[in-house]
Amino acid sequence: MKVDRRSFLGLGLGAVAGVTVSPLPWKLIDDVSIWTQNWPWTPVPPDGEVTYDNTVCTLCPGHCGISVRKINGRPVKIEGRKGYPINDGGVCLHGLSSLQYLYDPARVKQPLMKKGKVWEKISWKDAITLVTGKLAELRKKQSPDRLACITDTDKGTISGLFERFLKAFGSNNFYTISSMDKTWEKTFKMMHHSGSSPGFDLKNSDFILSFGCGFIEGWGSPVHNFKINSAWKENKAKFVQIEPRLSHTAAKADMWIPVKPGTDADLALGMCCEIISKDLYDTSYISGFTKGFNDFSNMVKKNYTPEKVSKTTGVPASKIKELALKFAKAKTPVAIAGKGRGYKAGSMKEFTAVHALNCLAGNINKKGGVWTMPFMEYGNWPAINMDSVASAGVSKPVIGESGSVAALFEKINASKKSPVDLLFVYQSNPCFTMHDVKAVEKAVEKIPFIVSFSSVMDETAEKADIILPSHMFLERYEDVPGAFGLVEEVTGLCVPVAGPVFNTKNPGDSILMIAKALKGSVASSFPWENYHACLEKITGDIWDKLSGDGYLRKDANLPYLRPDADFSFAAQNTESVKMEGSEGSFPLILVPVDNMRLFSGVFASSPFAVKTVSDTIIKKRDILVELNPVTAKKIGLSHGDYAMIATPKGTAKVKVHIFEGIMPGVVGMDEGLGHTAENIFIKDKGVNVNELVGPVIDTGSGLDAAWGIRAKLSKV
Amino acid sequence: MDSELIPKGAKRCSFPFFATGLAIAGIVLLWGVYAMLLCWFKGLNQTNMNDNYGFALWIWADLAVIALGGGAFFTGLLRYIFGIDELKNIINFAVVIGFICYSSALLILAIDVGQPLRSWFIFWHANVHSMLTEVAFCLSLYFSVLTIEFIPLILENRKINKVPFFHHLGHNMHGIMAVFAATGAFLSFFHQGSLGGVSGVLYGRPFSFRHGLLIWPWTFFLFTWSAAAYGPCFTLLITKITEGITGKKLVKDNVVHLLAKISGWMITSYIIAKIIDTIYWAMVTAPSEGFTMMQFYSNNGFYGIWILFAEIVLGGIVPAAILIKKDWRENSKLLLLAIILAVIGICLNRWVMVLQTMAVPVMSFDTWALYFPSWQEIATTILPVAYGFILIAIAYRYLPVFPQEQELYIEK
Amino acid sequence: MTKEQNKRKKHVFGMVIDLDKCTGCGSCMVACMSENNVPFREDESDKKRSITWMRVYKLTNGKSFPDTEICYLPRPCMHCGGHGDHGHSPCVSVCPVNATRYGYDTGIVSQIYTRCFGCRYCMAACPYHARYFNWWDPKWPGEMEKYLSPNVSPRMRGVVEKCSFCYQRYQAARDKALYEGRDEIEENEYQTACTEACPAGAITFGDLNNPDHMVYKMVQPDPHHTRKPLNPKAFRLLERLETNPKVYYISEREWVRKAGDNYIKGEWEKLNKNHGKSDE
Ligand SMILES: Nc1nc2c(c(=O)[nH]1)N[C@H]1C(S)=C(S)[C@@H](COP(=O)(O)OP(=O)(O)OC[C@H]3O[C@@H](n4cnc5c(=O)[nH]c(N)nc54)[C@H](O)[C@@H]3O)O[C@H]1N2
Ligand SMILES: Nc1nc2c(c(=O)[nH]1)N[C@H]1C(S)=C(S)[C@@H](COP(=O)(O)OP(=O)(O)OC[C@H]3O[C@@H](n4cnc5c(=O)[nH]c(N)nc54)[C@H](O)[C@@H]3O)O[C@H]1N2
Ligand code: SF4
Ligand code: SF4
Ligand code: SF4
Ligand code: SF4
Ligand code: SF4
Ligand SMILES: [Mo]
Repeated sequence: MKVDRRSFLGLGLGAVAGVTVSPLPWKLIDDVSIWTQNWPWTPVPPDGEVTYDNTVCTLCPGHCGISVRKINGRPVKIEGRKGYPINDGGVCLHGLSSLQYLYDPARVKQPLMKKGKVWEKISWKDAITLVTGKLAELRKKQSPDRLACITDTDKGTISGLFERFLKAFGSNNFYTISSMDKTWEKTFKMMHHSGSSPGFDLKNSDFILSFGCGFIEGWGSPVHNFKINSAWKENKAKFVQIEPRLSHTAAKADMWIPVKPGTDADLALGMCCEIISKDLYDTSYISGFTKGFNDFSNMVKKNYTPEKVSKTTGVPASKIKELALKFAKAKTPVAIAGKGRGYKAGSMKEFTAVHALNCLAGNINKKGGVWTMPFMEYGNWPAINMDSVASAGVSKPVIGESGSVAALFEKINASKKSPVDLLFVYQSNPCFTMHDVKAVEKAVEKIPFIVSFSSVMDETAEKADIILPSHMFLERYEDVPGAFGLVEEVTGLCVPVAGPVFNTKNPGDSILMIAKALKGSVASSFPWENYHACLEKITGDIWDKLSGDGYLRKDANLPYLRPDADFSFAAQNTESVKMEGSEGSFPLILVPVDNMRLFSGVFASSPFAVKTVSDTIIKKRDILVELNPVTAKKIGLSHGDYAMIATPKGTAKVKVHIFEGIMPGVVGMDEGLGHTAENIFIKDKGVNVNELVGPVIDTGSGLDAAWGIRAKLSKV
Repeated sequence: MDSELIPKGAKRCSFPFFATGLAIAGIVLLWGVYAMLLCWFKGLNQTNMNDNYGFALWIWADLAVIALGGGAFFTGLLRYIFGIDELKNIINFAVVIGFICYSSALLILAIDVGQPLRSWFIFWHANVHSMLTEVAFCLSLYFSVLTIEFIPLILENRKINKVPFFHHLGHNMHGIMAVFAATGAFLSFFHQGSLGGVSGVLYGRPFSFRHGLLIWPWTFFLFTWSAAAYGPCFTLLITKITEGITGKKLVKDNVVHLLAKISGWMITSYIIAKIIDTIYWAMVTAPSEGFTMMQFYSNNGFYGIWILFAEIVLGGIVPAAILIKKDWRENSKLLLLAIILAVIGICLNRWVMVLQTMAVPVMSFDTWALYFPSWQEIATTILPVAYGFILIAIAYRYLPVFPQEQELYIEK
Repeated sequence: MTKEQNKRKKHVFGMVIDLDKCTGCGSCMVACMSENNVPFREDESDKKRSITWMRVYKLTNGKSFPDTEICYLPRPCMHCGGHGDHGHSPCVSVCPVNATRYGYDTGIVSQIYTRCFGCRYCMAACPYHARYFNWWDPKWPGEMEKYLSPNVSPRMRGVVEKCSFCYQRYQAARDKALYEGRDEIEENEYQTACTEACPAGAITFGDLNNPDHMVYKMVQPDPHHTRKPLNPKAFRLLERLETNPKVYYISEREWVRKAGDNYIKGEWEKLNKNHGKSDE
């Protein structure tokens, strides 16, 4: 066939027509769209049988019951556990994000040892040998007291094992991070009995006076309290928030009383004065059960008349009187203290003044009032075998006078050579959560050898020499004693519902392994085969119920102590906790702000949690500080501007968020930001407010009770 | 070098000069193509669009370009349906411009969607209630019409025309062009309108929502009307630019003045309708939804009442006045001013209908959303300009686009 | 009788959020993210590009210190019934490819990710910003992919997503009822993830077509007037646009109710007087 131009063209056109009518192009077009619907890089989660497992969330002190939805044994979703006494189905955003913590890329995936500046993998066996070697040296040198341990709590069997280990080893230096719980316990020790702690029957209260408590920011047991807040809306209870800034809590309150920062104690005492002067107090309770009332009465009448208090607090005298009247006239009033989440200790003057209000109302051990609850005891711990080294060691006083972590670090920084040679850090992150982070880091660096039991590479773990990584809570057994401030005793049980995902261990087992490897009296003080056996033994008769239901609830007829109260400490009128810095060079006041959506404790916030945080708090890597428009105008700042914030402790670059709800002259800065540890979702976002605030020791308790610091803002 | 391809007797610049010009435009084009490929392979995160600004710069460009390309359908309509014969001297160019505008619009849409490989769903799974469905159908059909209208012009190339097949094909297509011109005008009416409908039907967006006739909001008719009114100005503007670049007069003044006059009266009638629409919207529609007109023009860093003034007065009333008054329209400077203002006016209208609609807060606690495009968006928006420049240059060089060129050239 | 029964069969699922109870804690946001495989990125501070099917807005009364007040307002998709409640939701009516549909048996506005071609017209149509575009390919770093739920398919880049009223939970409840030989699902059998998680109990979910359900009792939807709330403390967002949302809000505070819509100066006062409701 002759292919001329014409037939070539014809062929070409024919081919085009042929292909077009053929199914080929249409099939290809269809295939290509189907391909976009099945991109291999978009995951397809495997399906399977659905089951639910119950456990307890221990991310925060709330200790909510949670339920884990699983597909073929693979956990896919966290839900609140319905019917659980603390949270009855509700759950906070952090608990909901637990699975992100489980698979967190920042987790320590196996034991690590620091060689120079880099981490090297090490087997569990070698890690334990190495730690025991260091420990054995201390005992050999007859200085077991050079071992110290920091944990978040002294409750429950895992912390119990750490504390027991230190005793058996020969050290008193067991520290827990100070929070408002400690101040409340000290307050109760002063005003009621030692060995008692407060139970606030908030749900049945009809008038709640909160001195800066972040009731909605995560104070106490967060979900439990959110539920109570809703119950108040239904039964029309009145909630009054006293705070210099319109927090979430203040926003939810029926009345918000903006008060000058740090003058809460004055306000409380002013109210006491008014109640006493007008004879509005419960005479039968005051005359029948209290000591030191006359001294207290004279003291407040002399120093805290509403008129005087009005000047210090900025609250009009009429308002103080009105509040006092409302509080005294309420059927079941309660006053509470503990700033923000309550993760930091408070001032004894303030707490006793606030509790004095409760006593004046006579609302002790009554429905809707404050209860004196004995410490919860269920551990059947056998006696510790103390050898001579141990006995000599524990006869030495604890390092740092008040026995607080702040005091320990202060002591270390004050000494040429660290009095601590070996430090255990378990479930705490002092290099992030404590005031004056720089000083804490300095102290930590002075300690020759640090053993971290952390699950994630946090700021403190990064400074350790060896990490014996723990299971996170979803992977382990653990008994969880009740949350702070509840009027019922709820003990929960954490059970492994996942993993372990990585080569980690239950911290209880890690301690048992170390103890056993040390041999002698230390080993024999730990007669349990493993942590699970220990847990079963120690919980004893409640174990069956605990493991069966997942929790144990003791209600109604708890053995409450007599409601006696002693006003003597309050009558002493101790100094208020002053803030650092002079007004001349630092005209403003910086107050840390707690935010429910940001974790400010041991854990860094999860990707989900960070995602919920407003762009008026973090914008890209910048933190925004709250400023009243009046303050901003004076400095010449407007919304979104960069500014330098300076305090006696340091400086930082921040952005400005103009907020009508903050008192002029006050700067609010969110807690929980400015992480430096490796975690792509939170690292280097914002500034850690604890770098700008230094510790201030409260004379009443010896604890660091700083609530803010003087500051200066300038344009950049 | 390429003299065989150049229409007989036409004077063109040297090939190297031409090639250099193309190369420069080609670089801009490649920049745009690179940005386009980024958008396709990395996704629309390459843009600065966001969830408030789902429609942004290039959707505006899309609407603007289609309105400007309206010269093709409207001139076609006048030429073939209403038989205004003088316009044959500019219709070729109007078709070329239309072709460029519409092919650009389609290209932009292909970059704009998140899943371009699924674009054909719009035909297969069509939702007849959606204005965008109407747009898609009319747009692709009209683009086909424009292609058909463009082909004979290509076939007129001296070299191509020597091939008997193309010669005859071209001839036969000429014969039926009126049918296509009519179809094109009909399709244009709907797709210009449906583009107006796109924002006019958004009853969740009080800024752009309008009541209307049957299923069509008033913006439907306003868009068609404005495209017909302003499109010829763009044809004239590009003609003037081409004349400026080539240094030659290409279209006779009487043709230009005729088109300008028609455009002037169209703009006049349109702007009256637009003013009535604006007043009704400001006095009735918006207040019934709880808005005062000034709410749409305050409390933000960009959209002030100036934009409404610029659109209606500077871009509407002023050019209309110039174009309908003989003395003014025949003053070449005023004429140029008028067509430039008109082009700006129509672009502003499309800008406002797309971008301001997205920016205005609707919930009482919402805030204004302002946005600035990323370089990828700018590059892909400039891409059609470079492409248009190249296509016009090639068409002008090799095709008998301007029938009066030779005549004018000889006259000189 | 049968007519009544038929009516009953048709569900109109809706939500009531008590703004006086809502604490702004953000649980609902995260409950939704974890239930629905919502992705997350390193930087989520650009809120206009951050996928949050449930978003909690912060409203203020606009007054200066110390008279400032705040209210948190959680905003899922409103599942608008559209003009006349006929199912022509702002978003549904504009989607050119039927990738988002109105469920006439449930009142739920669906979103079909594999159909959507990402034109974003629906986003332009939604005045509540309830729709989100996948600007990026979703990524779950490290082992995190392991926690994804098989009940909600992860979305690919280039498509729009939004709150579905946890439709998978409705399907599961319906399947269970079917399996057990029941025609109807119980009120507590189908509850959304955000409702269940809310620690404040601020969210109530149920069938607005069923007078026994809590949501019905709380807002008293007027069946003759596109389910406008008869409870004077209840309101819907942008009621005046006639989008007919199925999410209702309740507040005792007048300024909060006023913030639910736009009013020309003086208009609210007049309206409010007519309703005889001015409690502050
Ligand atoms: N001066 C000037 N020249 C022009 C133009 C102009 O306006 N002015 N216009 C140009 C344009 S646009 C065109 S289209 C052309 C038109 O010019 P031509 O292409 O020359 O068109 P006709 O003169 O109509 O001739 C077409 C011939 O094809 C024959 N024919 C019809 N059907 C068939 C068939 O199936 N097979 C064969 N083999 N023959 C068939 C017809 O009988 C007719 O004689 O002229 C171009 N030349
Ligand atoms: N009433 C009617 N309408 C028709 C047709 C018809 O036959 N009758 N035919 C239809 C068809 S097939 C067509 S293609 C169209 C054509 O529509 P037009 O494009 O308007 O073509 P013509 O009217 O043929 O005019 C051709 C013009 O080309 C110019 N010209 C000649 N050589 C050159 C050159 O080298 N360069 C440039 N720039 N210009 C040149 C001439 O000056 C002449 O004015 O009309 C269509 N419409
Ligand atoms: S409140 Fe605390 S314990 Fe409860 S879910 Fe949240 S993080 Fe867990
Ligand atoms: S979970 Fe409940 S209380 Fe918390 S923000 Fe959401 S609706 Fe409000
Ligand atoms: S809220 Fe928005 S996305 Fe949801 S149905 Fe209404 S218009 Fe559609
Ligand atoms: S983005 Fe998807 S769902 Fe939205 S209108 Fe376009 S195709 Fe429909
Ligand atoms: S109903 Fe379901 S999908 Fe919608 S916001 Fe709540 S959890 Fe998310
Ligand atoms: Mo032709």
